[in-house]
Order: sequence, then C-alpha cells, then structure tokens
Amino acid sequence: MSQTTPGANEPKPAGSRRRRLTPLPLDKQSRRFMWLQIATPFLAILFASLIGSLIMLAIGKDPLNVYARMFSFSFGRADSIATILFRATPLIFAGLASAIAFKINVFNIGVEGQYLMGAMMASIVGFTVKGLPAYIHLPLVIVAAMLGGALWALLPAYLKVKRGVHEVISTIMLNYVAASLLHFFIANVFMDKSQVVGQGGMGSPRMRMPLIEASARMPTLHSFFAHLGVNFPPHVYVNWFLFIGIALAAVLFYVIWRTPFGYEIRAVAQNPTAAEAAGINSKRQIFRTFLISGAIAGLVGLSDLLGFFGYMDIDFPRGRGFDGIAVALLGKNDPFGVILGALLFGFLSRGSEGVLVFSGVPAEVITIIQGVMILSIVVAYEIVTRYIRVQKKKEAIGA
Amino acid sequence: MSVSELLASALRMSVPVLLTALGAIYSERSGIVNIGLEGMMIIGTFFGAVGGYYYGPMVGVILGMLAGMAFALIHAVATVTFKINQIVSGVALNILAAGLARFLCIQIFHMATTSPEVHQFTKWNIPGLDRIEVLKPLVTGISPLLVVALLAVPFTHYVLNRTVFGLRLRSCGENPLAADTLGVNVYLMRYLGTAIGGAFAGLAGSFLAIEHTGMYIEGMTQGKGFIALAAMIFGNWSALGSMWAAFLFGFAESVSFRVVSSKIPYQFIKMIPYLLTLAVLAGVVGRAQAPAQEGEPYERGGA
Repeated sequence: MSQTTPGANEPKPAGSRRRRLTPLPLDKQSRRFMWLQIATPFLAILFASLIGSLIMLAIGKDPLNVYARMFSFSFGRADSIATILFRATPLIFAGLASAIAFKINVFNIGVEGQYLMGAMMASIVGFTVKGLPAYIHLPLVIVAAMLGGALWALLPAYLKVKRGVHEVISTIMLNYVAASLLHFFIANVFMDKSQVVGQGGMGSPRMRMPLIEASARMPTLHSFFAHLGVNFPPHVYVNWFLFIGIALAAVLFYVIWRTPFGYEIRAVAQNPTAAEAAGINSKRQIFRTFLISGAIAGLVGLSDLLGFFGYMDIDFPRGRGFDGIAVALLGKNDPFGVILGALLFGFLSRGSEGVLVFSGVPAEVITIIQGVMILSIVVAYEIVTRYIRVQKKKEAIGA
Repeated sequence: MSVSELLASALRMSVPVLLTALGAIYSERSGIVNIGLEGMMIIGTFFGAVGGYYYGPMVGVILGMLAGMAFALIHAVATVTFKINQIVSGVALNILAAGLARFLCIQIFHMATTSPEVHQFTKWNIPGLDRIEVLKPLVTGISPLLVVALLAVPFTHYVLNRTVFGLRLRSCGENPLAADTLGVNVYLMRYLGTAIGGAFAGLAGSFLAIEHTGMYIEGMTQGKGFIALAAMIFGNWSALGSMWAAFLFGFAESVSFRVVSSKIPYQFIKMIPYLLTLAVLAGVVGRAQAPAQEGEPYERGGA
C-alpha cells in the first residue's frame, strides 16, 4: 500500500537539492485507476457528443454524418490543421492563466479583462515605439502585455487578500470595466486618424488604433513547417506564439511540480491553515499566483494582435477568457492537459465552421456541446475520484 | 428631467437585480453558491420572450421561471448530488446558457441575436395619485412585475424568518450536519433552495425581455446576475438589505443612462454600476456574515 499516504511521492519543500525522483512501481490496482483517470475525459467527450447528437436529431440532421463531416473537414486539409493550431494558440495561454490560478483555488474569471488590457498595452507599445530592431521590440511588446494583464489582476488580488472580496465577482466587474476602458482608449485617445477611406468617399474609417510596427509583429510558422515538408496556405496565420505557449506550459509544469514556489502553491491549495503552520505565507502566495495568472492572461490576445490583425480595434476577439476556463477544466489544470484541451477547442471551432457550411448545422450546436462537455467532465472527474477513494478505503480495510 | 422620473427609472432598473438577489438568498441560505444565476437570467430572457411572443406576457413569465428553474436543477444535480465545485458548475452553466439561447433563437426566431417584439403587460396606474402632475412618472405606467418584485421582498423575509421551511432552509446553510441529525432532508432543502433561486432569476430575465425592452436581445443581462450576487452580499443575505442594495444599483444605472450629454466620456459612465459593485464589495465584505457552510458540499453519513 505505497499509494495511500497522500503526498508521499511529492518533492521536498524549499531547500532540498535537485534530485531525480524515481517513480514508485505501480501495483495492479493503481494502474487500473490510472487508466480509469485517463479514460474519464474521453467518456465525458462521448457523453457531450451524444447530447449534441440528440440536438442534431431534433433539428433533422444525421449526427453520424455531421460528425464524419467535421472530422474530414478538420483533418483532411492543411489549412484546417493550421487553423486549428491558430485557434488553439490563444486558448493555451488562456487555459494556462486559469489553470495556474485554479491550482491555488483562485477562480480568475477575469482572464477576459486581463487579456484585453494586455493586448491594449502591447498595441500601444507596438505603435508608439519606433526604430527598434525586432529582437528588442518584440520582447518589449510581450513584456508590456504581461504587465497589462498583471496590472488588471492587481486590484482583485489585493481585494481578495486584504478585504476578503471573492474574486469571481470582482473580476467579472473588472471585465466590463476593461471592455469600456478599451473602447475609450480606441475611440477617444489613440484612434488612427491617418486611415485612408475607400475611393469616392465610400465607407468609413475603422475604429482602431494605429498599425503596429513591423518590428513588433510575430512571424508565421509557414517557413518552419515548409522545412518539415508541410506547406500551409497563406491565408492561415499560425505563428510562433504556438510554440511560446507550449514552452510556457512546460515551464509552468516544472514550476508547479519541481520548485519550492510550486510546492507552496500546492500546499496552500490543499490546506491553507496547515501551510501557514508550516511557515508558508498563504496570502502572499495567493497574491503572487493571482498576478502571475494575470500576466499570462495578458499574452492571450498577442497571437491575434501581432500574428494576424496588426492593430487593436473595437472588434478585437472576445470570450477567450471564458474558453480558457473551460480548457483549464478539461485539462484538469495540468499544463499539458491545457494544451490538449486547447487543441480540442480549436478542432471544435474549426469543425463547427465545416458543419455549418457543408451540413447546415448551426455553429451554436457546437457551443452547446462545449458547455455540456465542461459540465460532464467535471462531474466525471468527481465520480472517478470518489470511486477510487472508496475502492482504496475498502482495500485498506480488507488488508 | 424631474426627480420622480429619475426615481421611477431607478425603480424599474433595480427590478432584475432585486429579483435575482432574492433568488440568490434562497440558494445561498440553503448552502449553495450560484454563480450560474447570470445564465439562468439569460435563459429567462429568452424563454420570457418566446412565451411573450406566442402566448402573451403571462405565459412568458411562467416559461421564463420554469426555464430558470430547470437550469438551476442542473446546478443542484451537479453540486448537491455529485458534489462538484459550485463555482465550476456555475461557470459552466453560464457558458451553456449563452450557447443555448443563441441556438434556440436561431431555431425559433430565425435570427441570431434578437427576437421580434413581444406582448407586454397592461401597465397600471394608481388611481387618484395619477392626477398629480409631479408624481406622474412614479404612479403611472407601472409594470405588474415591479409590484410582484416589491411584494417578493416581505414575502421572502417572512418565508425565511417566520416559517418552518425557512428555518430548515437556513439550518442547511449554517449547519447541515445538525439539520440532518434533526431529520431535515438536507439534499431536498438544497435542491429546493437552488430551484427557487433559478425561478427568481428566470423571472428577472423575463422582466428584462418582456417589460424592459419588449424583446429578447443577446447579452441583455450584462452581468446583472453577478451584480445581484453582490447586492445580496451587500444586503448581508437578507431580503430587506438586498432590496436597498438593488435600489442603489438601479439608481446608479439609471443615472448612467441620463448623464450621456455631459462632458465625461460615456464609456466611463457605463462603468458606474460595475465600479459601484466593486466599491461596495470592498467596503462591506469585512462585516458581512455569510452562511457558515455555504459552498461546502454535504455528504450524508460523513465523508
């Protein structure tokens, strides 16, 4: 019964020297539980697809046909695959921002507002600073975005730690404030007046900030994939932020599981009182993690901003923050799980376009499937966790 | 613009927040935090419009309440029976509600974001007082739902504090173990509390669609479900307190509609209700008293 003591195989807290952890040999039962845990999200996805099937049947579509179309459209063409990767990129950042906060039991619903502020800061640094080489300008813009996101997380983090204000309500209020503030800065402060309106006085200028300097744009991955023999068509914009997101996931994984900082996060999440008793300042840790979550949230919009649009406008994509929460839940707040969740959402988003065009199924059916998927996945995780606990208890009594 | 006009508008604006806050009280007093109230309100706006369009406002209200309640039951199943995190469930329900409303809107009205205009209730005038010119905005054109919302305040106060049901409901939020020991069915009470909360949110939604704008518009709840939660906290989980808080938010919102012509950019005026919510929460939370076991799942027979 090597697995019954919780935290038995966790790394030692602060001060311990770097050491390799030899994984404990899994007995037969633990292996069965592991497979069960891996199977859980797939069962939940299956359940959500069944609900989706019922809706499709209700509007007179053949679900098998629709799903087949979704798969063939999404995986049968190079531009679909590139689009899935492009759509997944911001969701990786949004998912990581939510997940790191969830890790310490903070519900950062404010990723939405934080990424708008991050993208706005990035945009401002992107068009006001001129004449810098790309290897300075681009990192500068990225840092500005992180600062913007962290700044927008500062108030709810402070209110939570100092005043006990629940972050769910405070961050949601700040999401609305951020949207208004962004509108103000675009329309009243930085509006690009130099836009040339279409010939003959037709059309009207876009409600947008000036174009971001070329030195702050993020190159696409086309040439990289061309080396691998894959040629993406020019109308997709998957860019280096995809790899930055994956690298960030790896860094977070290391921080959470292999550093004292991550240990403190996990300790506070499990039992703040016990963590305090062990000398961890849990409020400070919550505050810091909240700000880190905000800084990561600041990066969410950059793939669109620096890799696609090149300017900040009033129609800048919204809702990524909420998708990020879903992605984090899907991935069970594990950084690599988040990547998988983001890819799944990228696939659903691209696939929904396919079924809309080729099968006439409204894209909202896919939104509903996403909602059902989140609910069923958390329910499924909970049931499995409880089942394993009961089984282990039984075993312990039997042994 | 006269004072009574401003007051009348503030009163109208406060109705959705007030109703949802009252619903939140039932839910939270039973021990269930419901972040999904926003979603239940969204569903209420849509089904209120459906009922109002096809069968008249009365059916709209009933449909809206039933839809809100149905959504709340999903929350109850997830959090009471399956004991999943209440915030997570609420967030998921909000996402689900937005998608479902949009989908159904396309299916039923063949438009993505709005419904056609719906039938409204006949407005009431207070006889006698409506002759006084100064009071006219306050005493004429009153929506019956406004009256219902105001009556729901003493009703909720009475139910929670003076009935056996209210005592049992509160005991489940304060000390479910003790309640269980004394024979109260904690699960049932929490189901009921959540369902009543959903019905109130649905009613609030149908008020928005039927009486406020006369149609369903996507995203018309604008975070009022969350503001209602803040109002409830501000009101210290009591019906009367929530009413005053809801009036405050209603006032802020009606002011924000009326100062458009001033020199302040309107984006900042739009922020007023949200900043007010933040300020209020920052100021009161220290002294507010939440139900002791709120947010904690209850496991019969011990975990």
